[in-house]
Amino acid sequence: MIPETLSSKLFSAIGIGVALVSPGDLTLRLVNPTFSQWFKGVSIGDPLADVLDEGALQRLKDGLASDEPFTMDVAGKAGRRTIDIEVTVRQARHDDEAMVLLECQNISRLRQTEAMIDSYAAMVERKERELEREKVQAEKLLLNLMPRSVYEEYRAYGSVMPRLYEPVSVLMIDFVGFTDMAVAADPTVTVSELNDIYTAFDRIAELYGCERIKTLGDAYLAVAGLPHPNPDHVRAAAQCAVKMIRFLKRRNETHPHTWRARIGVATGPVVGSVVGVQKYVYDVFGPAVNQAARLQQCSEPMEITVPKEFASELIDDFSLDKVRTETLRGFGDVQVARLKERRTQPASRSFEMLS
Amino acid sequence: MAAPSGTSMFSKYGGFAAVRGLVMDFYDRVLDSEIVGHHFDNVDMRRLVDHQTRFIAGLMGGPAELDEGRLARAHRHLGISGEEFEEIVDLLSQTLSAGGVAESDCDSVIETVERFRHDIVTERRP
Repeated sequence: MIPETLSSKLFSAIGIGVALVSPGDLTLRLVNPTFSQWFKGVSIGDPLADVLDEGALQRLKDGLASDEPFTMDVAGKAGRRTIDIEVTVRQARHDDEAMVLLECQNISRLRQTEAMIDSYAAMVERKERELEREKVQAEKLLLNLMPRSVYEEYRAYGSVMPRLYEPVSVLMIDFVGFTDMAVAADPTVTVSELNDIYTAFDRIAELYGCERIKTLGDAYLAVAGLPHPNPDHVRAAAQCAVKMIRFLKRRNETHPHTWRARIGVATGPVVGSVVGVQKYVYDVFGPAVNQAARLQQCSEPMEITVPKEFASELIDDFSLDKVRTETLRGFGDVQVARLKERRTQPASRSFEMLS
Repeated sequence: MAAPSGTSMFSKYGGFAAVRGLVMDFYDRVLDSEIVGHHFDNVDMRRLVDHQTRFIAGLMGGPAELDEGRLARAHRHLGISGEEFEEIVDLLSQTLSAGGVAESDCDSVIETVERFRHDIVTERRP
C-alpha cells in the first residue's frame, strides 16, 4: 500500500487535473491544484457550473445517464493561455456514496500538432497543384514541338529513336513576297497575321490528318502519314493544300493585307527524329521534303504543284492541269502539274466550320 | 534563402520533421513572452499555428511563400511597436539556435525577417 501522505502529495503534484463531484447537486467535493489552476481557481464547495459552460454541463448530465465512462473537450486556462482539456468522466463510489470523477488532461499540444499537420498538408497540396499545372504547361509546349506518340516515347525513355516513315506526303507552303511585307508593314501586324494564318493552317491540317512539323519564318511544313501510317496520305495532303489555298482566298477578300502562297506536295520516305540535346526540335528529313520544297518554288502564287504521277490517285476528286517538265535541283527533269479542286465538288461542310 | 549548397535550408535540416519542432517551440516562446504574448490571448490557436507553420517553412525555403502584402494586412491593425518586433526576432533567433540551426543560416533567416520590418511595425514612435 502507498502511505497516506505520499498519495495525497502525489495527488497535489500530478500534471492532470482531478476533481470529485456529487452527482446530485453537481458541486465540487474535491479538486487538486492542477484542476483548480486550469478552471478559474475553483475550490471545494463551488458548483460545477463555475467550471463548465452551459453546453458542456448539459453534455455531462446526458453522459451520466449511462454508467459508461465518457470524454468531452472543454477549454481551460494555463496562466494567460487558453488550453484544450479532455475530461474523462467516470462514475465511482466512495464510502458507499456515489461520486463523479473528472480526470482532465491538457491536450493542447495534440491539437496544435494536428493544426500544424493540417497547415502543412494544405501547403503541400497547393504546391502539388502548382507543379501539376507546370507539368501540363511543359507537356503542352512539347506537344507543339513533336507528335504525341513521339512525345510519349520521349517521356518514357528520355530519347527518341529516329524512325523511317514510308511512304508519306510532304506539304511545303511559302508566302510570296513575305520578306518585303515583313519589312514594309508594321512587323507586329505581320507576325500577328502570320500567327492567325498558321493557326488556321494547323486546324486544317488536323482536320485532314496531317501533322504540322515546323514553321520557319513564312515556310510551313506538314506531313500526311506520320506518325501513324495512312494509305491515303496523298489525298490527305492534297485536300489539306487545296483547303489552305481556299482559306487564304477567302481571308484576302475581307482583310486589308493580301497573303499569297505557293504550295508543293511530294511523296516518298522521310526519317523523323528529335534533333538537338538542349534545344531539341522534332524534324523530318528525306527526298520528299526536298522535292516538296522544289515543287513549291515552281508554283505560281496561289497554286499547288505536284508530281504528275499523283493523277492516278487523285483523279476522282481533283483535276490536274498545266502538265509540264521542270528541272528540279537534285531530282533532274520531273513531270509536274497544277493541282486544282474539281469545281463540281460541293464545299466540304467541315471546312465551312473553319472559316 | 537557399543554403550555400544550393538546396534550401528546409531540406538541409530535414524537411517538415525539423520544422515541426521549430514551429512548436516558437509558438510556446511567443505565447509565453511578456512583451508580445498579449497579442495572442484571443487568437484562434489553429490560425496562429497555421500562420507560424507557413512563416517558418517560408523563411527556410519550404513549400510556402512569404507574401509581404499578406503580412502587412495581417499586422496593420495591431499597432506593433519596434520593441515588439525586436522581441519576435529575438525569440525566433533563440528558437533556431535551440533547434540546432547553424549560426550562418540563423543570420540569413533573421536578415529575411528584418526585410519585413516596415510591413509589420505600424506604431509611430512618440
